[in-house]
Amino acid sequence: MTRGIGKIAFGGIVAFIGLYFVTALAWTWYSSEKRPDPDKPGQRIAEGPVPAPPHPVVIRQPDGKVMVDSGRRDARGEPVMVACATCHDTRPPEPSLHSSSELDEFHQGLTYAHGELSCLSCHNANDYDTLKLANGQAVDFSASMSLCAQCHGPQFRDYRNGSHGGMQGHWDLTRGGRTRNTCIDCHDPHHPAFPQVMPVFPPMPERGETLPHAHHE
Amino acid sequence: MNDTSQGCGSNCSCKGGGGARDDSLFSRRNLLKGGAMTLGAAAFAKALSPLAHWTREETSVEEFLQKHYRELTKIDLELVLKRLEKDAKENYGTDVTITDHRPQKGVKFGYALNLSICIGCRRCAEACHHENNHDRATSNSYIRVLEMTKGSMDMEKGNVHYDHPVPHPDRFYMPVQCQQCDNPPCVDVCPVEATWKEEDGIVVVDYNWCIGCRYCEAACPYHARRFNWKKPVIPKDEINPNQSYLSNRIRPQGVMEKCTFCLHRTRDGRMPACLEACPTGARVFGNLLDPHSEIRKVIDTKRVFVLKEELGTRPSFFYFFDE
Amino acid sequence: MTPPDAETADASRHDARFHATSYLRFLRLAFRLATEGSWLFYAWMFVLTCIALVGTHAWAVQVRDGMAVTAMTDHVSWGLYIANFTFIVGLAAGGVMMVIPAYIYHDRDMHDTVIIGELLAIASIVMCLLFVVVDLGRPDRFWHIMPFVGKFNWPISMLTWDVIVLNGYLLLNLHICGYLLYKRFLGETPDKRWYVPFVFLSIAWAISIHTVTAFLYCGLGGRPFWNTALLAPRFLTSAFVAGPAFIVVVLQIIRRMTKMKIGEGSIRTLVGIMRITILINLVMLVSEIFTSFYTGGSHGVSAKYLFFGHHGHGALVPWMWTSVTFSIIAAILLMRPKVHEHLWTLDIACVLGFAGIWIEKGMGLIIPGFIPSTLHEWVEYLPSATEWKITAGIWAGGLLIYTLLLKVAIPVFSGEANKLSN
Repeated sequence: MTRGIGKIAFGGIVAFIGLYFVTALAWTWYSSEKRPDPDKPGQRIAEGPVPAPPHPVVIRQPDGKVMVDSGRRDARGEPVMVACATCHDTRPPEPSLHSSSELDEFHQGLTYAHGELSCLSCHNANDYDTLKLANGQAVDFSASMSLCAQCHGPQFRDYRNGSHGGMQGHWDLTRGGRTRNTCIDCHDPHHPAFPQVMPVFPPMPERGETLPHAHHE
Repeated sequence: MNDTSQGCGSNCSCKGGGGARDDSLFSRRNLLKGGAMTLGAAAFAKALSPLAHWTREETSVEEFLQKHYRELTKIDLELVLKRLEKDAKENYGTDVTITDHRPQKGVKFGYALNLSICIGCRRCAEACHHENNHDRATSNSYIRVLEMTKGSMDMEKGNVHYDHPVPHPDRFYMPVQCQQCDNPPCVDVCPVEATWKEEDGIVVVDYNWCIGCRYCEAACPYHARRFNWKKPVIPKDEINPNQSYLSNRIRPQGVMEKCTFCLHRTRDGRMPACLEACPTGARVFGNLLDPHSEIRKVIDTKRVFVLKEELGTRPSFFYFFDE
Repeated sequence: MTPPDAETADASRHDARFHATSYLRFLRLAFRLATEGSWLFYAWMFVLTCIALVGTHAWAVQVRDGMAVTAMTDHVSWGLYIANFTFIVGLAAGGVMMVIPAYIYHDRDMHDTVIIGELLAIASIVMCLLFVVVDLGRPDRFWHIMPFVGKFNWPISMLTWDVIVLNGYLLLNLHICGYLLYKRFLGETPDKRWYVPFVFLSIAWAISIHTVTAFLYCGLGGRPFWNTALLAPRFLTSAFVAGPAFIVVVLQIIRRMTKMKIGEGSIRTLVGIMRITILINLVMLVSEIFTSFYTGGSHGVSAKYLFFGHHGHGALVPWMWTSVTFSIIAAILLMRPKVHEHLWTLDIACVLGFAGIWIEKGMGLIIPGFIPSTLHEWVEYLPSATEWKITAGIWAGGLLIYTLLLKVAIPVFSGEANKLSN
């Protein structure tokens, strides 16, 4: 029997649309299964750099000799700095001293809050240009980390594991070096608790956001 | 409504003897209809006129026809990068270098954050803002720092708008950014594969393929994704000129963007900008596949946790506390 | 009109050339039917065109200046557009409540009027697609979502499923309506093989469009408010309130404005459906509320915000209580045994039910999914002027399309059009 060609054509269009969808789905399924093509950037993985000798990790050092502000100013208005030995060579040590307030001169403004330690726990009474480990061994100011590590073992361990203390540079030492902070970059040895700071860069309140201070306080 | 007798369907006008006249193409009625339609079409054209300006200024044929990043050949890609550098020069008046940084074999990035050390100074968020060429007016950043109440890990008790010296003795601080999930919901939902996870674990966005439907933003459980609600504005001398296609190049209007662990730096072996900005060293970054890396040492020696682990997203971003 | 027995004889003799000429005649007639009418018709079209113009312009500005002109933020990243999209998918699916009685249970009255529901599906899907387009940040990249030419993330992305089911539903209904109308125009009896299978497919498809749309949201683990298995059933039930409510009103308007015969049975059946669905919808709402509030914790915090506000944030509270009130009043009115004899009461019930569900599924479902944000930040959302303009524009455009479709379909079905064309 003859059905109109028009109907067949019409059915054809419907079938075509259906087929289009089915093929499209099949195609997307197929293309998602495709293996990577090395010529295309998305599939290309950069070859790792040729193993190179690792670059150094530099730990920042306290620079120069330790000096103390005398409180006086020179002709140009610069503070007059005095070496430790200038005074301490001639004065006897005071082992029981815990606070600068007990002093008559020098170290006047020094805030001191470091556990139960006294000055001579770390400063070397025999040579004020060096520091002193618990066993009495003198160490240079630049090696203060070993002094801190005597008490702060877990922090020192974490530092060595890379999870304490800030750093700059490369995570991949085959590609570049790294600079690490030393203890006193962040902690003042006389009051080592990290100081409070004002936070920077507040997030902008969004449209539709009210800031109820009561919410948190 | 009482004019039903008059007839409101099409039937009335045709019954009124207009039938013969209507058949003529140039009947008065047809001319009127044609006029009205022309007028209507003109009105719509006029209404759409802002589009003409936008098409002229902000799009191009090359941009419109550009293929998906993963389907570009090396030559295609070079042309695209050249075009983007030229566009940046035209739009922002500065010379930038846009590179295509590729993942490195044997590297999968991981990030860890020590919540005992973080003081909530938000320097990481600020560094991100500058490094990644974010819009200045909105102070956008991929990092949000939550001030949390001690005794609870409930973000419900968190606050991002703290404005007092930090660290507050009763609080701790939790910066949150893209967790580079191994099972990223944002990638699954994208209808056009404009976002995907690369071999080194970074979830990236092809800013030139994204259609801006924001489904990924709804799917992300970590508020890690941002939308370019308008064209970013950055003074030309503040633009970071070292840019990457998938990372910190200035994004176009109307597309999604997200943290890429600064892949333009980290794929060169460098630290992410947020880590370098951290004054306390709370952040640890490295290669999860290298057993001697700092990140692996953290995972091995600390008790780390991930955010919203119950969602099964498997983040590559870990948090931990000191003992 | 030729007698029925002659029709089939004619039909078998039709060849391609016959269809080529007669289909052109059909289109010409459709054009004429769609562009002629009373002053009321022209006024209605003029008003709709003006609103659509305002919306079009607002959209063009939004594309040019960026979506910063909307009230959406990175916290509430979907707003009025997706809310309306969700609701209108329901409206499209709701038309199926006419198709089922008409084709499965051979309800005679419904059979005569079912085309009104099918045309509603066409107009609604067009609106849905428009709402998706205006929500895109980069509408110029629409081709990226087309299979073959773009990159179609099927089957992982639920949005690609939605593209398939919505376009598929549009094509199905275009085919069914187009075929039936053309056959009526030819004065022939439609061949069941050419439309009945499609009608049955469209019934299943109608369920799928709304299920897939619910899956868009309820599949997101990071949004506890949406992450409930009850979402798809709730969507379907509320769709079967809003759809029939809209159609009941449309049927009455058609009865007044045209000569089409609207049997009492159609309205009676639709009211019967609404009586059940509106109650089931309320039951589901209550069970959602119970789960949220009795459990408490962060999972219930969005619901608490939605109904009672939270820490001084309460932008959605008036919306939601309006919705609940409307739905309850509509339910009570519909429960009256003789509601279809008091048409004004019925109309009020329909309008309230429709509006109640529009709020519940839109502002009451999409927005609180984002509040609080995934990091528990409290950013609220109320649509901007641009969003209202674009939304109104799309509704106007949809109504315009629906009016034109009815304008063609009604005379063709009543046979009046044939007098014209001959």
